[in-house]
Amino acid sequence: MTKSLAALTFSAALVATAAAAQETLTISVYSFAQDAYKEALYDPFEEICGCELVIETGNSVERMAKVEANAADPVIDLAVISAHDALSLAEKGLLQPIDPSRLSNFDKLYPAARDPLGDNMAVGYTFYASSIVYREDLIDIDSWADLLGDDLAGNVALPNITGTQGPLTLMMLDKAAGGDGSDFSGTITAVGEEADDIVTFYSRSSELAQLMNQEEVIAAPVGRFAWSRFKSSPLPFAWAEPAEGQAGGMNVMILTADNGNEELAYQLMDYWLSTEVQTRIAEALIDSPANAEVVVSDEVAENLTYGADLINSLNILAPDAIIANRNAWVEQWNAEVIR
Amino acid sequence: MFLNRSEGLALALPAALFTFLVFLVPVGILLSVAFQNEDGALSLRGYLDFFAQPLNRAVFLRTLKLGVLVALTSAVIGYLAAFCIVNLPPASRGRIFGLVVLPLMISPVARTYAWIVILGRTGIVNDVVVGLGLSDTPLRLLFTETAVFIGLLQLFLPLMIISLVSSMENIPKDVVPAARVLGASWLQVFVRIILPLTKEGLVIGGTLVFTGALTAYITPAILGGSKVLMLETLLYQKVNVSNDFVSASVIAMILIVMCFSANLALKRVASVRR
Repeated sequence: MTKSLAALTFSAALVATAAAAQETLTISVYSFAQDAYKEALYDPFEEICGCELVIETGNSVERMAKVEANAADPVIDLAVISAHDALSLAEKGLLQPIDPSRLSNFDKLYPAARDPLGDNMAVGYTFYASSIVYREDLIDIDSWADLLGDDLAGNVALPNITGTQGPLTLMMLDKAAGGDGSDFSGTITAVGEEADDIVTFYSRSSELAQLMNQEEVIAAPVGRFAWSRFKSSPLPFAWAEPAEGQAGGMNVMILTADNGNEELAYQLMDYWLSTEVQTRIAEALIDSPANAEVVVSDEVAENLTYGADLINSLNILAPDAIIANRNAWVEQWNAEVIR
Repeated sequence: MFLNRSEGLALALPAALFTFLVFLVPVGILLSVAFQNEDGALSLRGYLDFFAQPLNRAVFLRTLKLGVLVALTSAVIGYLAAFCIVNLPPASRGRIFGLVVLPLMISPVARTYAWIVILGRTGIVNDVVVGLGLSDTPLRLLFTETAVFIGLLQLFLPLMIISLVSSMENIPKDVVPAARVLGASWLQVFVRIILPLTKEGLVIGGTLVFTGALTAYITPAILGGSKVLMLETLLYQKVNVSNDFVSASVIAMILIVMCFSANLALKRVASVRR
């Protein structure tokens, strides 16, 4: 009995030592679809690297604040974030450049995803289109300008300026009004004049899906990543292809400066960008691929922002334009729209 | 009660330590941030900047207005309900009182989402409005101040009723019939007997409802959205969207001052009546 106890204690100590010696990689990600990510990415990677992934989730502001607060001794090694938020971190000197030669899958990426911020500060891992989801039995959408038209008065929701979709919508409304999509002041004023006819300014696509399924709203701009929420509804929702085209954006991967865990971070980054993982993530309808070699069925592609033609046609708002103007947009929005 | 003073202090120590660490220290940190400028010097800059913005002033006034309206309305409904409850036979009183308390056992999120269904275009209220021919098309009720008011009232009314029932139970049974026999009208009975004898309950209930309405987040966020901002939803935006902790601390301080002021004002009104 004493011998058995000693053996048991010895085994437990060995397991504990092995666990303590296991390398860890801390990544900061968006909080959606974590179960699907675990299956498609985290678990297979942990098996390959023999390491432990520590997943930190939250909204962009929380996650950026954490990177900034721990700049001297980074807690996060790798993060995925929107291109403009990544640029904001890069401008504060919180990121390190990515060495493409350490990524075997780098050349498989669409050209736009390879160095979206310049100086190799980030690498794109997914694209998303943004357009208008609407009730095709009640209304036709031919232009982004229809959002502020009389037909939709009292039945439309717009994204709030503070989210990613807000500036994209303003860009497309500006283009629909004959602008070049760079100066939003006139567009914000136009939205302000129609504010009483806009049901709400939503912050999350899940919130919008609920409002549209309750027939509170019959048209609204939204990212393609949320399309599956509408497609599965019994109500006849359609994805608009307005005359001005669709808007779009990209999410990127970044490495925090001096995190000391670059080896594992590059390993995960390369694995995430591989055709195998990008295909798995696309087929699970989580993220649209940035790897041009990914091939999916028509049915899967229909739910994603997929293919060179579509990606090249997207109206993308330059990250530096967002960073430079965001505060002014929010101030004017608060004064004229929210009031 | 205790054998000695140190024994009493020792018993109070865990609770005092807990309160100090998780309440007083964070509030102290909050206070220090809310009275600093960008360089860390003592300043009222944050408050001046906050009230210089028209949107912030509008949000402050809306929060105050809705807080007062919810507290007043719950007092009116609360007195009627409490008077009914204390005059019921004991068995019925327990059942009705249980129904009043029941909503407090349901998550505010669930209760607030229920209002989305009720007040929506295809909800019960609009079905009745359109069915009775009061309007040709469904009314837009969600994302309005009315929706937030209804949600907050439903959320906090039970607290007022509970406070008033507790106070009314202490009124001697013969007092109201005696006043009526002596010719007092119901209004006189309420103003000269019930109100003075239940003012402690009114102060407690009023403070709970007002501070609850002021500091509620879920209900204004769900039923008001970004079109009906209140201080609490604005605070959340400052932290989670703008990463502006100075403005968030200023809003938190404003809320604390409003809550304490309401309590002091109610106590003062109650003491004047005495």
